[in-house]
Amino acid sequence: METDLLIIGGGPAGLHAALTADRAGARVVVADESFSLGGQLRQQTQWLSNLPGQYGYGKKRGTWVNEQLINQVGASNVQVLKKHTMIGSYLNGNIGVSDGDKTFEIQSRKNIIAPGAQEEAKVFPGWTLPGVMTAGAAQILINREKVLPGKRAVMVGSNDFSLEVARQLNSCGITVEAIVEEKNQIICSDGELVKTLENVPVYTNSTIEIVTGAGEVEHVVIQTPDGLKEVNVDLVCIANGFSPILEPFEIMNCHFVYQKELGGWLAAYNIHLQTTNPSCYIAGNAAGITDFGSILLTGEIAALSALEAMGFISSAEGTEQKSRCWRELANLESEKVLQARTEMLADYHQKHELDLPDYFMKIKGGKMYG
Amino acid sequence: MHISEHPVLKEKSNEKVFFYFNNHRLEAKKGQTVAAALMANGIRKLGVSRKLSQPRGLYCSNGRCTSCFVTINGLDHVISCTTLVENNMQVFSNNNDPEIRGEKYGN
Ligand SMILES: Cc1cc2nc3c(=O)[nH]c(=O)nc-3n(C[C@H](O)[C@H](O)[C@H](O)COP(=O)(O)OP(=O)(O)OC[C@H]3O[C@@H](n4cnc5c(N)ncnc54)[C@H](O)[C@@H]3O)c2cc1C
Repeated sequence: METDLLIIGGGPAGLHAALTADRAGARVVVADESFSLGGQLRQQTQWLSNLPGQYGYGKKRGTWVNEQLINQVGASNVQVLKKHTMIGSYLNGNIGVSDGDKTFEIQSRKNIIAPGAQEEAKVFPGWTLPGVMTAGAAQILINREKVLPGKRAVMVGSNDFSLEVARQLNSCGITVEAIVEEKNQIICSDGELVKTLENVPVYTNSTIEIVTGAGEVEHVVIQTPDGLKEVNVDLVCIANGFSPILEPFEIMNCHFVYQKELGGWLAAYNIHLQTTNPSCYIAGNAAGITDFGSILLTGEIAALSALEAMGFISSAEGTEQKSRCWRELANLESEKVLQARTEMLADYHQKHELDLPDYFMKIKGGKMYG
Repeated sequence: MHISEHPVLKEKSNEKVFFYFNNHRLEAKKGQTVAAALMANGIRKLGVSRKLSQPRGLYCSNGRCTSCFVTINGLDHVISCTTLVENNMQVFSNNNDPEIRGEKYGN
């Protein structure tokens, strides 16, 4: 198979990149390992804020935005390969994908790799019992699969994501018996969300001592500052944060950097979202754990860079569009994540002796560069 | 248990699928994964660990942790959280390592 742009990962970042490239006239193939497009957006029923203005989405549910993206891709010339996993690369640089039966290479001029993020596990005695699962898994079960993962739950972690999932579990009729947080206070910054869960006991400075049950979760012991607290539940959800997925970048021999605020290790990239492998660009949560607006915008920047490199748009247009995207991203992204991202970019450009474009130095009135 | 009235998502899949788990006939909805279909039937233990034979079930639901391995239509170690359930699928729990030297594989 042969194409101009190959995109690995059909989540929001990959799909938005695909639409951007299709509009400019490039031939695009999107390969995704799942049986349907949309990635982690498929189960996000909550309202998304921080959406970039020009998409005209306004305040919408994630599942609604997902439908729009999929419909737009369906109406475009983008070629979609569902149930195709990127599993390797060939000596000639082509990417190898497999559907489990057949494995073949895709020859492309440029690649955008947008495999998203994974949830971090948390280990305690009993963490492998059926009924212990990530918060994301529970969210997939209720919203995508329409299946109840249990009746009574303990949520481990109190960040925005864990409380949102706790709220959603609750609205499906699952009783959340406890929220367990190892820090000394609730992490979630959304006061309204915290309020919707005010009837749920929150144990701070607390950890899971052990989870037990015959073949599946039945009983949880929580270590609290006031001693051991025991609850009978059949579901334990772990929300311990996300980290970027790395394997496809390892396959492409990309270099990695560590940035705690971006989720830990990730493939290093420059202002054009280009990794150290010049044919591979990066987008979405793989380029740093962030919010939804920035996920779309990094997809767009990666696509613009690839289009520019392939000659589908002029370098003047590329610069103009990318400068708009970066400005918008800087306005939407949380301060901490933006700071980490720009630090990583500045380091990259210094190390590789590349100039940072003027527009980037002016982001936030140049304040970020002192 | 299936969620019949979802608080947000009103669209319903009513098309039924019948499949087998350890030779028991079970009902699922079209478009569900094998792991979710099993959980909808109250089955959460999908197999046991290879060394200590401890129970295992769905953990990440994203095809990454491989905790939800099952055998489907004779193929061992299939990730049940990323495989859609189909009519007459024969699913067995994953109770040990596949016999790769067995006759089945011509070894
Ligand atoms: C379980 C989970 C739940 C989440 N829930 C929320 C939430 O409720 N709210 C929120 O704001 N954010 C949530 N997030 C964050 C979420 O990652 C982003 O909102 C957004 O979906 C990220 O977009 P993306 O395109 O970067 O990646 P994803 O949406 O993760 O899409 C990546 C795609 O790449 C595919 N892929 C990965 N590896 C390969 C490969 N080797 N070959 C082919 N295809 C591959 C995957 O199948 C997937 O479709 C969640 C993340 C996870 C992991």
